[in-house]
Amino acid sequence: MALTDTATLPAASEDWHRLSFTGSGREYFGIWIVNILLTIVTVGIYSAWAKVRRNRYFYGNSVLLGRGFEYHAKGKQIFIGRLIVFAYLVIYNVLLTVVPLVGIALAVLILFFIPWLVMRGLRFNARVTSYRNVRFNFVGGVGGAFLAFLVGPVLAALTLGILAPLASRWMYRYIGNNMRYGTKAFTTDPGLGAIYKNWLLSALIILLGLLIIGFLVFLNMSLIFSLIDKPQSLPPELQAAMVTMGVIGYLVILVSFGIAALVYRAGVRNVAWSSTLFDGRHPLKSDLPRFGYAWVAVSNLIVTLLTLGLMRPWAAVRLARYVNTHTAVRFSGNVGEVFAVSEQDGSAVGAEFMAYEGFDFGF
Amino acid sequence: MKASILASDNRTIAEGEWHPAHSSLSVVARLVEDAGALVVERVPGGDRLATGELASVEVSPRVGSIPRRVNFADGSLFETTDNDAIDRWLLRSGRRSTSLVHRLERFHPRLVVLVVATFLLGSLVYRYALPVLVEVAVAVTPPVVPKIMSVSTMETMDRTMLSPSQLNAGKQREISEDFARIAALSPRGTAGYSLNFRAGGAVGPNAFALPDGTLVLTDELVELAAGDDEMIIGVLAHEIGHVELEHSLRQVYRAAGMAGLIMMLAGDVGSGIEDLLVQGGGLLALSHSRTAEAAADRHSVELMSKAGFDATAIARFFELLEQKLGDRSDTSMLSTHPGTPERKKAILDYAAEVQAKQQAD
Repeated sequence: MALTDTATLPAASEDWHRLSFTGSGREYFGIWIVNILLTIVTVGIYSAWAKVRRNRYFYGNSVLLGRGFEYHAKGKQIFIGRLIVFAYLVIYNVLLTVVPLVGIALAVLILFFIPWLVMRGLRFNARVTSYRNVRFNFVGGVGGAFLAFLVGPVLAALTLGILAPLASRWMYRYIGNNMRYGTKAFTTDPGLGAIYKNWLLSALIILLGLLIIGFLVFLNMSLIFSLIDKPQSLPPELQAAMVTMGVIGYLVILVSFGIAALVYRAGVRNVAWSSTLFDGRHPLKSDLPRFGYAWVAVSNLIVTLLTLGLMRPWAAVRLARYVNTHTAVRFSGNVGEVFAVSEQDGSAVGAEFMAYEGFDFGF
Repeated sequence: MKASILASDNRTIAEGEWHPAHSSLSVVARLVEDAGALVVERVPGGDRLATGELASVEVSPRVGSIPRRVNFADGSLFETTDNDAIDRWLLRSGRRSTSLVHRLERFHPRLVVLVVATFLLGSLVYRYALPVLVEVAVAVTPPVVPKIMSVSTMETMDRTMLSPSQLNAGKQREISEDFARIAALSPRGTAGYSLNFRAGGAVGPNAFALPDGTLVLTDELVELAAGDDEMIIGVLAHEIGHVELEHSLRQVYRAAGMAGLIMMLAGDVGSGIEDLLVQGGGLLALSHSRTAEAAADRHSVELMSKAGFDATAIARFFELLEQKLGDRSDTSMLSTHPGTPERKKAILDYAAEVQAKQQAD
């Protein structure tokens, strides 16, 4: 056909092609403030369309080899998905108060639906994403989602995080091995040892936080003992000191767990993406500096808070740019033509459920 | 030859890339309007790659400056970064060039107005619209809901914490008769309330109300009162206040409203701020329950005064709590109930106010 001589995905080269982010905080600011304003004016209804505009902006500005991604979901799809999730939340909360036993039964029921919801959510998100006119797809089943999103987190929680790397591995294997771009597949196998190396760093950060608290308690030992002896006798100045100590302790916990989580997330992303192949031969790479990522996330939060949210667009763009520029792909051999597979988008309920529950990972 | 190139340039809408249907391959191409039809031509060369009626092509809405997509009915796609050119063409061909939303979104000094409007409307919604929605939800809730709510809570409480009262029948009758006097003065009337005596166990000296008008009084509270029945009636009048003001239903709906609000804004505020909002929502719920307690206190004062009891009887209860349990704490952000001394003072002030009003009438 007459198209053989035309532009295509690049031929083999040793270069890593990095993603970039071409949006700006200035441009996104307008989109963001209109999204919030219209969401408020329409008592929330517009939020579904707002999500589409936001995602189109971020996908469209994520550029690989001169071409952006595209987000295809329609506001109506998102709206219906949100309506169903919200109706469930209302019914659940009313039942929990009216007939607590039925409410708890409903919670257990939804627990068993989580794998299905997550599977459908990942599928929806993949199918509404395209690059160069070809959509992504997700072909994972319910069994894999059960292992990755129910067994994994429960196991990690029960072992106080010691088995968290196992859960991370299951999750990335489930997502990475079931992702498709048109007819071509992604494969991944992040090594457990490499994930544990990252885990160790996070564990040390948490340990440091706990040590600081232990030290604080040790310094105030006499105070605490006197409190145990005669709880009523504490003068107000000492009570204030105790409260201050409590607040400091809470902050130390918050900061150390927060940083540990961010560092872990970046580290595991690096391991997982860097062990992923597209079409069996083109390697992907993620080289996020772990503390750099944590710094961007934490300083974003602080700046957003200090400006009453007005710098949020700048912060969101900054994070997207940071993550994109540390993500790359290399082509070993010609990729050639990739054909799209026609699939229905399906319902957005799973995707909206995931968004509500805070499952959060890019496509 | 030169003339034909110029002619084609005049018809050109935008330069970009074209994909055949279902393919990742692309050709450098240009979008051309030709005799009422839209045509994609290869660059260079000018071969026709796709043709479509103006009405049958779909142009993606503009968002910022991300590439614009022109979808043809045959599934092929023309993509261009020249958003302005597409907008000009849409305007020329009499279609809406850009949505009102996009025009609002453009970076422009008027965005300051939008920011101010957002803050204003946001606080208005939170301050007025949310409470109105809660009121609507409470109004349309059928009475059977609080009924089922109460029956099942009572059952659970009886099975887990409470046990039958050890109070003698005479004492129970005395309190019930006094209680009937204040219940009769409430909009729901005596039939709207049922007073139940229980041994509190872990609940201790306490009285609580369920939304259908079921009231529970523990033996421990009667004991604590040491014969001051009027004080017990004052506490029960407070509980009647919770029932009349429908506090528990409101709490459920307010929690649902907050969850909805957070869900809608989550993507725009980021996950860090979302977590803080959830925490803040919890604190706000606590402060709401403090407001509810104060309202129930005032209800007690009004009801007691109407029934000819001592309007400040419930203040004696707080005094007693202060003595027996050593509760001298002031109100803090983290407590559901206002600090006892503060609450006592508010009751005495309000009772004086009510009395002054009665004398004026």
